[in-house]
Amino acid sequence: MSKTHSTAARLVCAAMAVTAGGACGRSDLRSTAAADMHALVMASWDSVVAQARGTSVVWRMWRGDPSINAYVDGWVAPRLRERFGIQLDAVEGQGAEIVNALVTEREAGRSRGVASLLWINGETFAQLRAEHLLAGPWAGRLPNGSCVDSASSYVARDFEQDPAGYESPWGTVQFALIFDTARTPHPPRSVEELSRWIRAHPGRFTHDQGFTGITFLKGVMYAVGGGVQRFQGGFSEARYLEGRDSLFDWLRALTPDFWRAGRTYPPDVAAMHRMFANGEIDFTMSHNHNEVATKVAQGVLPPTARALLLREGTIANTHFVGIPFNAPNPAGAMVVADFLLSPEAQAEKMRPDRWGDGTVCAPIRVAGDWRNAFSDSARHRLALPADSLRRYARPEIAPEYHARLLADWRRIFRRAGS
Amino acid sequence: MNARGGTAGWPLARVLPLVSVALVAAPALVGGAYSLAASVGVVGAGAADAAWSDGWRVLLTPETWRSLAWTAITSAIATLIALATAVFIGVRLRSSPMGRWLAVAPIAVPHVAAALAAILLLGQSGLVSRLAVGVGLTSVPADFPALAYNASAVALIATMAWKEFPFLALTVLAVLDTRGSALEESAQTLGATRIQAFRRITWPLLWRGVAPAVIAVYAFLLGTYEMPALLGPSDPVPFPVLTLERSTDPDLQRRGEAHVLALTALAATLALVAVHQRLRAASGDGD
Repeated sequence: MSKTHSTAARLVCAAMAVTAGGACGRSDLRSTAAADMHALVMASWDSVVAQARGTSVVWRMWRGDPSINAYVDGWVAPRLRERFGIQLDAVEGQGAEIVNALVTEREAGRSRGVASLLWINGETFAQLRAEHLLAGPWAGRLPNGSCVDSASSYVARDFEQDPAGYESPWGTVQFALIFDTARTPHPPRSVEELSRWIRAHPGRFTHDQGFTGITFLKGVMYAVGGGVQRFQGGFSEARYLEGRDSLFDWLRALTPDFWRAGRTYPPDVAAMHRMFANGEIDFTMSHNHNEVATKVAQGVLPPTARALLLREGTIANTHFVGIPFNAPNPAGAMVVADFLLSPEAQAEKMRPDRWGDGTVCAPIRVAGDWRNAFSDSARHRLALPADSLRRYARPEIAPEYHARLLADWRRIFRRAGS
Repeated sequence: MNARGGTAGWPLARVLPLVSVALVAAPALVGGAYSLAASVGVVGAGAADAAWSDGWRVLLTPETWRSLAWTAITSAIATLIALATAVFIGVRLRSSPMGRWLAVAPIAVPHVAAALAAILLLGQSGLVSRLAVGVGLTSVPADFPALAYNASAVALIATMAWKEFPFLALTVLAVLDTRGSALEESAQTLGATRIQAFRRITWPLLWRGVAPAVIAVYAFLLGTYEMPALLGPSDPVPFPVLTLERSTDPDLQRRGEAHVLALTALAATLALVAVHQRLRAASGDGD
């Protein structure tokens, strides 16, 4: 099978090379890039910075949040220009789109791609590693990497995967439900209370069909399926099926009281925020515990909106930056990744009125002044207290759980109305 | 076509059209060939672990056909409404500059903006629903019938029709402008009612002119993504949304399914082109 595959692949490559002017040869492409990366990692940091000066770095990232865009374009980019002479261009592209784009570039024989830096984590990291689309290891080379909280399992692991130097941590977030104190003065605080609330308020609760919605369901699966530890230690088919069945029993009992009786689901969290703000539903949700602060400031959510964590715990994870195998400017990408880890950039990013993204640095590993800046940054009247965040944080599990849950939920619940 | 330099071997006038046709067709041909290769797992992400038939199994699931049928029906209804609106405007308002202006105004609005406006207007907590509460028709916004995110797709069909009718109206006006109204006037002088004149004279002449545009609109709506993504239901999943879902599925081995769905959409469009050719041949207009 694999032999016919590679012969056929070579034929297609040849045909594409004729039309697109490229050349195929995965292994050649990879080894050139790997050699470049190796030379960079062996070089002194000063020479990496010198190589990066006067270059531009294209960064493929999710561009869906004005606060994040403002931080990247309005705060990070000008500083990179002033200090390192680097022109930063953030462009749209997230998750599977990044994987698809890189696979296409590889098949078209493009040893120099477009993007030098990628914003990734979890399943995207798994796919990129499986397809050998990331350069590395390089993350251990960053001077600012010394601040990284490597003792924290949340930062040192990405959906239970070892980053192995192929991605550098950038920030942490934790899932939270968002409610309106004006409408729901006594919100549910546990999965059981949430179930009772949903039954008592038919049509006022739902989740979206995207990443956030599935993360919510995965959190409930931890709660009703025996705790996160049942699912840790790699993907297990048997444990998945048990957890899924407990979760689906919970859902079957409740979806008749979901928004539109569970016959349809909002396409994404943006739609949920809109419906929540308009009073069509009483809860929205976010992958970022502080999104409520930025969205209230933007006027997307009402000023009385607040975030809450369920007592059984909510999923926290870390997001990273990676460098693709065909990055045109790996030196520039490393300098950008290093600047993103600087205490200054981390503290600015933490401010809930800026982005409210958690830091990946251990306060103990940064200088005293910055330690204070970190705790000041985290303080905001809408921000959740750091100790509750810590207490209720639950880790991510192997990416296969997410993929399987998404597929099964789509097959069974999204079709339930027909 | 009669090229002047016919004996010069490669007359420019003969080659240029071929080159331009090749340029226009190349992206579709290359894309189709790539999708075909990816659908059998020869190229693309996750290809190495997939059997050739994995992707094609998507055609055996009822979800695929429900999705395609739903998209085909909603797009057809929207096309018919757009056509009816365009013909009405063309026939009734063609001599009014204001009417002509109104007929093309929606062209300037992007599809995404139109879809978002439809949510704000027709959503269950939208403006119309709030007005209904305001005038006492309903007691809470949730009593208002669901028009968006549901299978009956009122908001989606309305948005698609609103965005596409100007294109058809322009075609209708162009056809009407080239032939004046002498025939209808003589028919009415001979005693035909306005409706009879429309049915026997205006419509048959109009249909030959607008049929290609109607088919183009229908083909566009079958494949358009933004409007169904923003306004469509989660069950059935609109066909273009289903295609993109498979192409961004966390399971890399489902990429092949996305290519099979894309090829299915391509086949549907080719079928429409064939229908168009038959229509032209049947109306004696083939060239």
